[in-house]
Amino acid sequence: MSEWLESAITRAQSINDWLAPKRANALELLSTTKWPTRKTEAWRYTPLRVVERTKAKSIDDAAIRLLPVAIENFSAIELAFVNGKLDESQLTNALPKGLSISLGQNLSDSEKAQALSAFSTTKPDRHLFGLVNDVLAQDVVIITVEAGAEISEPVRISSLLSQGAESHTRVQVSLGEGSRLSVIEDIQAQGESLSTAFVEYNIAAKAHLEHYRFALQTGTNVSIGGSHFSLKDHAKMHSTIVSFGSDLSRLDTDIIHAGEFADAKLNAMHLLDGKELFDLHATVEHAMPNGTTEENVRGIVADRARSVFNGRIHIHRDAQKTLAELNNRNLLMSNTAEINTKPELEIYADDVRCAHGATVAEIDKQALYYLQTRGVSRSKAQVMLNFGFINELIDLMPNAALAEWVRPIIRERFAQMEVK
Amino acid sequence: MSNTETLLSIKELHASVEEKQIIKGLNLEIKPGEVHAIMGPNGAGKSTMGYVLSGRDGYNVESGSVILDGEDLLEMETEDRARAGLFLAFQYPVEIPGVSNLEFLKASVDAQREARGEDAITSADFLKEAKAACKQVNLPVSFLKRGVNEGFSGGEKKRNELMQMLLLKPKLCILDETDSGLDIDALQVVAEGVNSQRSADRSFIVVTHYQRLLDYIKPDFVHVLSEGKIVKSGDASLAHELEAQGYAWLQTAPAEDELEG
Repeated sequence: MSEWLESAITRAQSINDWLAPKRANALELLSTTKWPTRKTEAWRYTPLRVVERTKAKSIDDAAIRLLPVAIENFSAIELAFVNGKLDESQLTNALPKGLSISLGQNLSDSEKAQALSAFSTTKPDRHLFGLVNDVLAQDVVIITVEAGAEISEPVRISSLLSQGAESHTRVQVSLGEGSRLSVIEDIQAQGESLSTAFVEYNIAAKAHLEHYRFALQTGTNVSIGGSHFSLKDHAKMHSTIVSFGSDLSRLDTDIIHAGEFADAKLNAMHLLDGKELFDLHATVEHAMPNGTTEENVRGIVADRARSVFNGRIHIHRDAQKTLAELNNRNLLMSNTAEINTKPELEIYADDVRCAHGATVAEIDKQALYYLQTRGVSRSKAQVMLNFGFINELIDLMPNAALAEWVRPIIRERFAQMEVK
Repeated sequence: MSNTETLLSIKELHASVEEKQIIKGLNLEIKPGEVHAIMGPNGAGKSTMGYVLSGRDGYNVESGSVILDGEDLLEMETEDRARAGLFLAFQYPVEIPGVSNLEFLKASVDAQREARGEDAITSADFLKEAKAACKQVNLPVSFLKRGVNEGFSGGEKKRNELMQMLLLKPKLCILDETDSGLDIDALQVVAEGVNSQRSADRSFIVVTHYQRLLDYIKPDFVHVLSEGKIVKSGDASLAHELEAQGYAWLQTAPAEDELEG
């Protein structure tokens, strides 16, 4: 076991609050978990040395004020965590009808009991840093949408970290039957910082979740997080994940079809440069029949950067009539960049349609040269030739303001990448 | 802009591809408005010359100089050479599926206008110009919507190159075997297009293996390129001599007329 994990466990032992039974369980699991090495399949291409060596530490300074990133034509109900602590001053007092947002400790006893029973049920126990988050996240926030409520203003969950900070944030979202909600998860982190950020979503029958996760932090940040979804009958989710890389950026997503006729769409794109690393482990569990999943993961990897994608679709014996598609496309910009992609299908039902594919392409230097001979700059030519497959996913983002905010950020990053 | 008498001056150019020397002491001077034909056998370095002048990756200049309109061409990136007025019409134009011809043409024109400090042209105005250019080179307007050169026939690709030239209005055009793979009708269209662009401030290097194209585009000078340098120069009549003789004489007396270049 690493010193870092030992210290985390020690720190966790002093926490005693409403989540005590769940935390004790996670602590128990953690104490028997082996620290991952290169031989641990889930961490095979993602070394944890940067976690072992981190100097990030918990910073409790009320004078530090950090704000979520401003986006044109966009407003949200702001749930801002500053160095792991919820900044309640940023949360509006006037929430729309049908939506409640509360710190777990402020809930009534009956609400607490409900929140406690849902805690860590969507997020599987196999995620090591999910367990770390279970025991160390202090300000656990519970978001509830009443049955039938359609909340038009999105909720934005921002994990904001100052230089050198360590942060563990946890949010639990439940959508009542037939309700609608849009949630944006964002990390804005300065250097030498470390965060775990996990959100669990329980999506009741006929409810509809629109979801975004932005992880555009770069440099020496270490971010490990997860978004975990459970879908009941006829529930729908549409998720868009946009990531750059950093010393270590790891995301685990789990989509569980826990009801029939659920529909999940996941579009993920990542652009990595320098020596960045980004690792996406996406698991879909089709536990019930008649579910559909469409998963598009697209990456551009330049310089000495490394991307890791593990896409697992597990179709259980009873999940007949499942339709599942997993597609991973990559563009390799340099011969020192690395792409590790592993689609995994496990199918136990016999009447399903399931497809997967992974491709790695290189930039067409001849086409690049052709455009340059016409006066088009190399970076513009690169965007014209190869941005299309990323742009397609941006076009599919349901929130136009977010799409128009992130599009030039991604395009600019790509334009700066060099062909090597 | 400099007002030098010479538009292009190539002096003692040596260049290699993958460490193999292809251009071995090339000298060439072109004045504004002149049309120079470069002829020669396969492997003489004709296409390489165009790639070296345009700054293609992997084509390394070892020594010598190239001045275009007073500027050191070899110091520039490929796109800056184009913005300085150099245009290379490819022997094998590249297909780019997924990028429409119109988008490609507009990006090219925009980039060059921007480099000259001119205002951007509106999409509507540009479309009008592009349609006129299409008509001039005898391509259906629908080709503007198709992917760049995607599925175009050989002749259509060459006409598309010509259309780019019409829109970009370069100072120096290098036509790299623009006649290859063309039937006589297509050849006439291309030649008419080129001839319509001849002017006192635009020069051409017409690279060709055969004399046929030069019946339609009358050169002021004809040079014979062999083993990476010009071994013989003359007026338009030289092309007819070559047509009659072929290039076999080069092998028997390779250095005979070297000084004439």
